Amino acid sequence: MISAGIDLGAKTTKVVILADNKIVSQCLELTGIDQAQTAEKALSNALEKANLSRDAVNFIVATGVGRNAVSFANKEISDVAADARGIIYLLPDARTVIDIGAEEGRAIKCFADGRVQDFAINEKCAAGAGTFVETMARALEVDVEEFGKMSLRSTNTIAMNAQCTVFAESEVVSLVHAKTAKEDISKAIHDAIASRIISMVRRVGVEEKIAVIGGVAKNPGFIDSLKRGLEINEILIPDEPEFTGALGAALTKA
Amino acid sequence: MIDIFKDWYEHRHDYAKEWKKRTKGEVVGYFCTYAPEEIMYAAGILPVRILGSHEPQDVTEPHIFGMFCPFCRDCLAQGLKGRFDYLGGIMLSQSCLHLRQSYTSWQINIPVPFSYYLPMPHGVQSKRAYKYLRNELETFKKAVEKWLGKEIKDEDIDRAIEIYNKNRQLLHKLYALRKSSKVPLSGMEAMYVTITSQMVDKAEHNEMLEKYINTLTDRDVTNDRVRLIFVGSEDDDIEFIKMVESLPAIVVVDEHCTGSRYFWNEVKQDDDRLMAIAARYIDRPACPAKDWPELTRLDHIVNLVKDYNVQGAVLIQQKFCDPHEFDMPVIEKKLKEMGIPSYNIEFDVTVPIGQFKIRIEAFLEMLRADELF
Repeated sequence: MISAGIDLGAKTTKVVILADNKIVSQCLELTGIDQAQTAEKALSNALEKANLSRDAVNFIVATGVGRNAVSFANKEISDVAADARGIIYLLPDARTVIDIGAEEGRAIKCFADGRVQDFAINEKCAAGAGTFVETMARALEVDVEEFGKMSLRSTNTIAMNAQCTVFAESEVVSLVHAKTAKEDISKAIHDAIASRIISMVRRVGVEEKIAVIGGVAKNPGFIDSLKRGLEINEILIPDEPEFTGALGAALTKA
Repeated sequence: MIDIFKDWYEHRHDYAKEWKKRTKGEVVGYFCTYAPEEIMYAAGILPVRILGSHEPQDVTEPHIFGMFCPFCRDCLAQGLKGRFDYLGGIMLSQSCLHLRQSYTSWQINIPVPFSYYLPMPHGVQSKRAYKYLRNELETFKKAVEKWLGKEIKDEDIDRAIEIYNKNRQLLHKLYALRKSSKVPLSGMEAMYVTITSQMVDKAEHNEMLEKYINTLTDRDVTNDRVRLIFVGSEDDDIEFIKMVESLPAIVVVDEHCTGSRYFWNEVKQDDDRLMAIAARYIDRPACPAKDWPELTRLDHIVNLVKDYNVQGAVLIQQKFCDPHEFDMPVIEKKLKEMGIPSYNIEFDVTVPIGQFKIRIEAFLEMLRADELF
């Protein structure tokens, strides 16, 4: 039995192919303007990697913000349901999952079987999302990877009020003008993003263990801020956090 | 048949203008459903509810604080844009501070021949409220009589009460049909009907509503969808309910002032007519702004959930509507105890349909998780 999950996100599209519920292939592409075309391309690349033909796929489930564009999907599910399903497969001890995509941050509380218990999503603003991180890295003129590591070298705590990406950027510019160390600014930014996300986690109720998925999970500065903010020592991160939603979709009954 | 209500909804101003021309009567805009419409109707006035248009606007900023609710700003915007230019009067029966701001700004910036602030008591749970409101209604009646230069007779009031009660009975009848496992009308259709009852001459509305109810026999639009209740302060957002019902969900009942709270109870006729009207407004399902010290809404919501066999609740929060927001945690907790999951959503003048769709979809999936496993 072969199933495919396609997570058509705002920035990247992810595909996971399962054979009898075991991952056999995955693929990530930039989403771009033509979502339908991206979905096609990501799927055929993933199939090629697994040496499978399109006909071999029994069913396809789409998720992500652009899921409606996947016209060949047998079913569509929300990111929330896909994330919960995916994380329990990868890390069965997780009960709260934080997903930070390009334009949306989510906190989802799940049951042991991968069902959703409750969830919260950031409202009308990018402050708790991946785009925010990228904007801030750009303001500091460092690449995103370095931006996250830098935060860990900071020795000072600066309070920053990151309610809005645009205002936060001007706050960063002021700090730069005041000759504040980039490391300290980086930490202030990560603390601010983490604080937005933690508010959402508290809304659904903190239940360990906590897992982080989505591209931002690879940012050590953010994970550090999250641990300090939540006052916990352990945060679970799957090996390839950005594929969790696509995996959850592939696991769903079509 | 629903098209008639939809047409009234979409062309509410044309209707009012046409009514005015046809009857030579005055049209009065009221800001809150505590307005004693029966007294106005008895005087030959068409009372119309002032509602927003859900379009972005930039005209209220000089008049209303940014942290006042989107509804009160949207209402005032309609006045400032001249859409209610046919009104002979405006009136507010005191409900909340935000709406009072709309009313007073309207008074200043869009002057009309008649404007009336009715100090509807906040303490509706006090026994003294009945008499207090009765006396205020008397003062209001005199003010209307003075404005129009004619007396409002007892028989006029009796006739108004009769027509208004008839409308309430019909709306109840319509709502009751939605208790069935075969729901004959969508939440959106019900919304068109209830909202237009706040804009259209009740006698005319009654006639149409009676006919409409008769067309619903044997109709079933349920289609195996999740049965939802909308709970809120105010909600007349057609786009939102349309989006929700495009998903596997059907709104079977509501608890907000543009819906069931508007028509839920009747005037019990009495020789002291003004006292009878006062009692109706004091005893109606309370607006969150007046529902204290006891939270009477809660039992009302619980009963609706049971009677309408509700499976999930969407709690609609008009941004910055503190009274309703204050009630939300208690409502959420109570529903949870009943095994009814709820989802909070915050409304602004316009709502981001795409984002909200993702959330409602996720909520519905939570309710129907079995289908994914």
